[in-house]
Amino acid sequence: MRRVLVTHADEPIGRRAVKTLYHDARVGLIFAVGDGPPPRSFDKFLSAREPRVVYARVDLARHRPVTDLFHSSDFRAAEIDTVVHVPRHGAAASEQAPLVAGIAERTAETRLLLQHCLEAPGVESLVAVGSAFVYKLAPGNVNRVDEGSELDLDPEVAPEIRSWIDCDMLLHGEVHNDRLRVVLLRVPTVVASGGYVYLHPTLSGRSGRRVRAAGFDPICALISDKDVARAIQSAVHARGPGIYNVSGSEAVPLSLLARWTGRSTLPLPGPLLRLAAAGARFAGQELETALDGPHLRYGFTLDTRRAERELGFRPLDRIGLARAGDGALRLETASA
Amino acid sequence: MSESDAVEARVFDTHALLADPPAAEEGPALGSDPFAEPSGADPLAARLDVLERAWRGARVRPGRPLAAVRSEPARGDASPAARPQPPTRRRAPVLPTLGEIELPEPQGLLDRLVGEDVRKVLAAFFHLVEGEGPYDRFGFSPEVTRRAFPIFHALYRGWFRVDSEGHANLPETGGAVLVSNHAGLLPFDAAMTVIDVALHSDPPRLARAIVDRWAGTLPFVNVFYARVGQVIGTRENFADLLDEGQLVLVYPEGVDGIRKTIAQRYRLQAFRVGFIEQALRSRVPIVPMAVIGSDDQAPVLFDVKPLARLLGLPIAPITPTFPWLGPLGLLPYPVRYRIVYGEPLRFHERFGPEGADDARLVRYLANQVRRAVQLLIDRNR
Repeated sequence: MRRVLVTHADEPIGRRAVKTLYHDARVGLIFAVGDGPPPRSFDKFLSAREPRVVYARVDLARHRPVTDLFHSSDFRAAEIDTVVHVPRHGAAASEQAPLVAGIAERTAETRLLLQHCLEAPGVESLVAVGSAFVYKLAPGNVNRVDEGSELDLDPEVAPEIRSWIDCDMLLHGEVHNDRLRVVLLRVPTVVASGGYVYLHPTLSGRSGRRVRAAGFDPICALISDKDVARAIQSAVHARGPGIYNVSGSEAVPLSLLARWTGRSTLPLPGPLLRLAAAGARFAGQELETALDGPHLRYGFTLDTRRAERELGFRPLDRIGLARAGDGALRLETASA
Repeated sequence: MSESDAVEARVFDTHALLADPPAAEEGPALGSDPFAEPSGADPLAARLDVLERAWRGARVRPGRPLAAVRSEPARGDASPAARPQPPTRRRAPVLPTLGEIELPEPQGLLDRLVGEDVRKVLAAFFHLVEGEGPYDRFGFSPEVTRRAFPIFHALYRGWFRVDSEGHANLPETGGAVLVSNHAGLLPFDAAMTVIDVALHSDPPRLARAIVDRWAGTLPFVNVFYARVGQVIGTRENFADLLDEGQLVLVYPEGVDGIRKTIAQRYRLQAFRVGFIEQALRSRVPIVPMAVIGSDDQAPVLFDVKPLARLLGLPIAPITPTFPWLGPLGLLPYPVRYRIVYGEPLRFHERFGPEGADDARLVRYLANQVRRAVQLLIDRNR
């Protein structure tokens, strides 16, 4: 029986992970942690006679609250053996995230969590969700990348992607740790029914107009939020550590993904795009969306064979267009 | 002589063999059929036998089972566990044969422009895309291809008047590497090859041409290439296509092929070797082929290399029509194309995947393929 702590459980992917693990008979208890109040969908979990879900509000980017969490009596009583780290990705991520001690909030959270997982006596596994936008993209509409592909260590990379790379490298450094089993899942753009999109440097966050590079329409690999939760579930029960690409079956161009998710895009020639990016940096908006960078020109799809082989993960959801109740065509995900 | 000395001596012998091949094993003269067997054994096969023996002798360390470096089990050692395991393969999309496709009534001008056979080919390509999305994992769009195909088909029939032979050498299923010569400023040779392969295979096959990374930086061009099935030439892309059982078209001359001046036409430039490594690793045959006519479609008189470097272009050509007629000067002359497919070279049946790590072997095999393509060109010019 696994006893699992899930971070950012109040955000969409975290909620989905909690629900999936809740229905897993091999999971004995879920310690859900989030910034805000518990989601309403957790009410039935929390109000059960013998609740298998516990919820706590913790600011994971601050040292003191995280230390308090790991030393709390609730945490000790829960006897957590696995930590699932789902980085911030929901509506809150679209706001200007503050720098914590000079580093991005996402990086600060990951560093603190990793440090406490290494020190906590009962924690054996850390399963973290990372982004596949960390890969260095070669010129081309689409590149196949596997786990051994080069990361984008260009110092000029957009800060949004930089924070993912920092998290990735922090976790990568502990993959061979004997004390803690670290599993890193690199996921591409995550979509959810109704046209929600997460973990995409450009499209995530509030709906509205986005800019993209004229003459380029990179392919975006997609995965549904439910498949991400299934991948997390597989990783929780897997034995070995490692880094795994997980992705769905569908991949669509950026312009089409924007249309499917109710966002419009404005193609700008390269020089204008660079000007817009510089303007956004000047205005202090650099962390909101990555306005320029290789991800706007070059796309990727993921080689997921390692995850299939070692985690036994295969995507079940199909992603496509469906007519919603208001008659509009929206992105939908459904099990095949 | 100790055992290690013997191994060292064999390594030395192999190097000598590769550096200075015996004249008796040179193969047929230029202009003759490289794949005919007029008398005795195929000279290429005989040459490979010699090389294989030498390579095996040099590479097998004392105590290491022979089967570890051979793809086939050695005599007396049929243990399946000793064989190298092939890479995990994805299931290739199964395309219907032309007889299995039932077409609806023609709709729109595009359907009326092309014949029923072409419409069936295009309908079959829709089966290449799995899942709900309209694109495959490499950005291929059957819909964009359906729209572009009639234009290139018209060029195929009316402008280049393509004549082709040797289609029996195209594998019906499974992965293979098509290796061709490359010329002409604009890659119409690739477009004509893709159309020829599609029209002369049943079930229809889409040749996925590997294009230079530079093309991926070109606005609009990179998108079009991807939508019609072409793939940027990274190692991962190449390996993944082959592991999926797709037909991959490569131009090992690279941009050197299109840089050829009129004095060098129909003379192959040095081959890059990555395609040999991937073919050995993915256990697929190599089909040499020649495109006759592409060298005449836009004869390059001079390549102004300093200007090309300054502009960041692979070539700054001077042709009889470019730059004098502006962009129109880049259009190909209405030359007649002839496409010939040679017999598949099954190096993977002789050498295991580990052969891909042997730089000398890979270089030698690349030269053999180059020679085969050159002979096809010379025979059919």
